[in-house]
Amino acid sequence: MSFLIWRQYRLQAAFAALVLAVFAAVLLITGLKMASQWHTILSACTASGTCGSLQQQGGASLGSVLGHDFAILSMLAPALFGMLVGAPLLAREYESRTFDFAWSQSVTRTRWLLVKVGWVLLAAAVWGGVIAELVTWWSGPRNAAYQNWFQPNYFDQQGIVPIGYSVFATALGIAAGAVFRRTLPAVAIVVGGFIGLRLWTSQDLRLHYMTPVTTSYSMTGNFNPPTGSPLVGGGMTGPNGQVLAQNFNSDNTFNGVPISSLPHACQALASQASNLSTQASNSAQNAANSAQNAANQCLARAGYHNFLSYQPASRYWAFQGIETGIFVALALVLLAVTFYVVRNRDA
Amino acid sequence: MNTCAIETQGLSKRYHRVTALSDCSVTVPEGRISALVGPNGAGKTTLLRLLAGLARPTGGSALVLGGTPRQDPAFLSEVGFLAQEIPLYRRFSAQDHIQVGAHMNLRWDAESVRTRLTGLNIPLDRPVGKLSGGQRAQVALALTLAKQPRVLLLDEPVAALDPLARRHFLGTLTAAVAESGGELTVVLSSHLITDLERVSDHMILLSASRVQLCGDTDELLAEHKLLVGPRKDTAALERMHKVVHTVSTPRQARLLVRLSGPVFDPAYEAEDVSLEDLVLGYMGADAPAAYAHLAAVGDDQ
Repeated sequence: MSFLIWRQYRLQAAFAALVLAVFAAVLLITGLKMASQWHTILSACTASGTCGSLQQQGGASLGSVLGHDFAILSMLAPALFGMLVGAPLLAREYESRTFDFAWSQSVTRTRWLLVKVGWVLLAAAVWGGVIAELVTWWSGPRNAAYQNWFQPNYFDQQGIVPIGYSVFATALGIAAGAVFRRTLPAVAIVVGGFIGLRLWTSQDLRLHYMTPVTTSYSMTGNFNPPTGSPLVGGGMTGPNGQVLAQNFNSDNTFNGVPISSLPHACQALASQASNLSTQASNSAQNAANSAQNAANQCLARAGYHNFLSYQPASRYWAFQGIETGIFVALALVLLAVTFYVVRNRDA
Repeated sequence: MNTCAIETQGLSKRYHRVTALSDCSVTVPEGRISALVGPNGAGKTTLLRLLAGLARPTGGSALVLGGTPRQDPAFLSEVGFLAQEIPLYRRFSAQDHIQVGAHMNLRWDAESVRTRLTGLNIPLDRPVGKLSGGQRAQVALALTLAKQPRVLLLDEPVAALDPLARRHFLGTLTAAVAESGGELTVVLSSHLITDLERVSDHMILLSASRVQLCGDTDELLAEHKLLVGPRKDTAALERMHKVVHTVSTPRQARLLVRLSGPVFDPAYEAEDVSLEDLVLGYMGADAPAAYAHLAAVGDDQ
């Protein structure tokens, strides 16, 4: 059985290995350059004692355009595998009716499918994993300099999530091929389904995998979450701890909260700060700042607080695990559909 | 020779609202080559796929070598199936297919495939997509035989072949049956009645998804006569015999009749029927317009 799979896919396997080799070569060359760049920056900042503000220094120009483009491109790798390997896996057998050959040997359909899907998903995981590890290694200096692992174009390219993406895209192609029995619709489903789900998870879902940490701090104070922690929300709480509704579209607001809902004693200061802040001149800005400070002190006396909620940067691997789990679980559902269809629909 | 290789009881298959096969009861004794005939859409392919375990019946039952067709290596290894489209991996050579078959079967006679194909001058190392249709069919048949099945189901394998390739193909088939010493049973569907006449000794006639005839070809031919006589009321005749099909001209009527005894009416002259008469008669009896004109043409000659 495995022999048939190898015979069917040896060309694709060679091609995939070639693509990986080119990809590795580009990332290796640009990555080594970036690493030496990074070391220069580090020794310079150590000498001058300015390593605390690396982002504002040479860190901004880290890495080459080519390497960066390849890293971005790596986000399409799972979809590519799903389109070129996953979608035709069953669809092509149906189209060319070769399943009649395969299913007329002494191997049951279930076993045939199990072996075929098993090897191909393993290959998909390796494909996603190798690319992800290359990009992760390449991104080392950038990660250290920018510390924004949770940004979509960092989080989505590194660690283990690309393995989940790759397995999912491939399973989606296989399932679509089983249902539609034609390659083209299956490819379209992979493109639409994969890009749609990826955008949805990275734009909307990801920051809600775990309950965010919420920190309350004084109106006159300042708070910065640990570096690299993405913000989920923020605002003010009233004297009873209730969160004040914000409306950033209206004019008469202070920190987004409508001035009318603030205590009377502070309303005058708040509107003054709000009005002055819209004026461009330096003197107006200075006046706005002092009005803002006065309003903050007034609100602090009235029992108001600022708060920020965020996902701590330390949750990076937990989030990687959760997102990988989601995509792998979806892949398993799709495979269950595939097995059901292949076993129960007449050939 | 008394055991049945294939036995179906009321076998039916519906696809959504279309009935592909209805109440099909047939038996094929072991060691026979059975011709499966009938017009397009009569259910021939459906019957073969049900027997091969590639489709599941919606009613009735089928027994192939005493077991229900199922997804089980022991069953699958006993049954060889060759679909109409000659499904082979186009980029694989015959040699590749031989290797694949060796990995996917319990029994596998790779040498027999090589011997057959080299005997027919078919290159083993060329992708089968680059072979001619006849060569491809030969490769597919040789591979199916390499499984050493006890039941071989062939769905119009010679439809696309030229007469010479057809003869080679059927030669390979009859040789394989002879070699098996009565162990191999074949069901072969085709529209080419002359070919079937040459190789088969049993027949199943399907029309409009129902079985019209099933049995030993010689016995069936002996039971049928073509009665040629004047055009007249056949009620008396039909009390005893079954009139399958009538072709009449103003002066004459030719009746295909299944006899249940001697014909006493002296007005009719009884002629022996050929397999073609029989097949066309039953097809014409069951409406398909596509064959009605063929029956008429046969009659004029």
